[in-house]
Amino acid sequence: MIHEERVILMTKLQAYEDGEGKKDIATSNYFRGDYLGSQMLKSVITMTIAAAVFYAGYIFYNLESFMKDLYQIDWIEYAKMLLTRYLILVIGYALITYLVYAYRYAKAKKNLKKYYGGLKALNAMYHDEP
Amino acid sequence: MTQLLLAKETLKTFVGRYEVYLKPLGKFLLALLALVMINISTGYMERLNSMSIVLILALMCSFLPLNFIIICSAAFIILHLYALSMECALVALILFLILALVYFRFAPKDAVIVLLLPMCFYLKIPYVIPVCAGLLATPVSAVAVACGVVVYYMVSYVSGNVSGLSALEAEDMSGRFRYVVDGFLKNKTMLVVMAAFALTVIIVYLIRRLSIDHCWTIAIIAGTIAQMVVLLLGALVMDADVSTIGIILGSLVSAGIAMIVEFVMFQMDYSRTENVQFEDDEYYYYVKAVPKVILSKPEKTVKKINTQRKKKKSH
Repeated sequence: MIHEERVILMTKLQAYEDGEGKKDIATSNYFRGDYLGSQMLKSVITMTIAAAVFYAGYIFYNLESFMKDLYQIDWIEYAKMLLTRYLILVIGYALITYLVYAYRYAKAKKNLKKYYGGLKALNAMYHDEP
Repeated sequence: MTQLLLAKETLKTFVGRYEVYLKPLGKFLLALLALVMINISTGYMERLNSMSIVLILALMCSFLPLNFIIICSAAFIILHLYALSMECALVALILFLILALVYFRFAPKDAVIVLLLPMCFYLKIPYVIPVCAGLLATPVSAVAVACGVVVYYMVSYVSGNVSGLSALEAEDMSGRFRYVVDGFLKNKTMLVVMAAFALTVIIVYLIRRLSIDHCWTIAIIAGTIAQMVVLLLGALVMDADVSTIGIILGSLVSAGIAMIVEFVMFQMDYSRTENVQFEDDEYYYYVKAVPKVILSKPEKTVKKINTQRKKKKSH
């Protein structure tokens, strides 16, 4: 016989699992540190590409003066300056990533707690069945 | 008021029941509007101006994720700018690449904001988007809002300086590139608008999350005022070119639209029809869950008041 309450609960749980839950479950498969680490790594890679694209554009913008000063530039100083700016950018971006994704991780865990509560209730319904 | 609430309830039921059709239709209309507006504001490549291409792309967008509309729009802009000059296309490509890298990391769900903001700029009511983003989304939407502002100002700068670009020699590639970048990056208005809009998103979000009565209305009013003040002060300090009357009128209209959004969306769960499949030990379940229709009770009007009978004391 079909248990009406059980079907309602199962439908709700399945709807969550198919929708928002998909992402939450994928998130919660990681430990917090691993999840935040991987997201920060992605951000560092993204920012590195963005910085490279920006720098290419900058060189093209200053092409004439750059070509003129090509042999007069102190390359070590220039590299140091570039690296410092790059590091400031990447560290700042990684920090923002950390804050945003720490919040998202906490939210996913909270949603999943509710979901697991529902699963527990469902399990109890099966056991209580005469 | 009862009629309005009933209308809201009917809307909720309608959206819940026909969400399967409404979603692709919405995407189709959004893509169509975005592409047509790009064609009107730029339109340098003749082939892309054809309505059949726009319709086919819009139709494709209706079945694909929302971000596909953004990719299509970006491609349209780059191609149009390429027809104008290669340097413009290069600047747009670099800019879109950097924006995409920031946008897809933090706010990939805010495609609607990125698309609607430039459209609202053309309708002279861009101020509504940051307020609504603060009401309906998260502070991270400030990233999407900033992206939308940058896209609009880039396109409007290029389309407003076609004669200046064509006056430069075609061989001087670096010079043309510099001309576009200079004009675009030195646009103080863009910086002021970007800062004001991002701040508005955060202010509106923070206020609407407070546990006070009428927090959404307060958030709309505070956000609109803060936006106006930052825009006007910013324009004054940075000597940016903005229209004071335009800002005030646009903000007032935007606040009105935001109030409508508040009425439609506040504490409303537009729960949709769910089609789910699952199984247990005994059955396979194929469930279609349709949201219930809850009609508000009609308001009672007092027409006649009967005088209360005095109870006779029995003892």
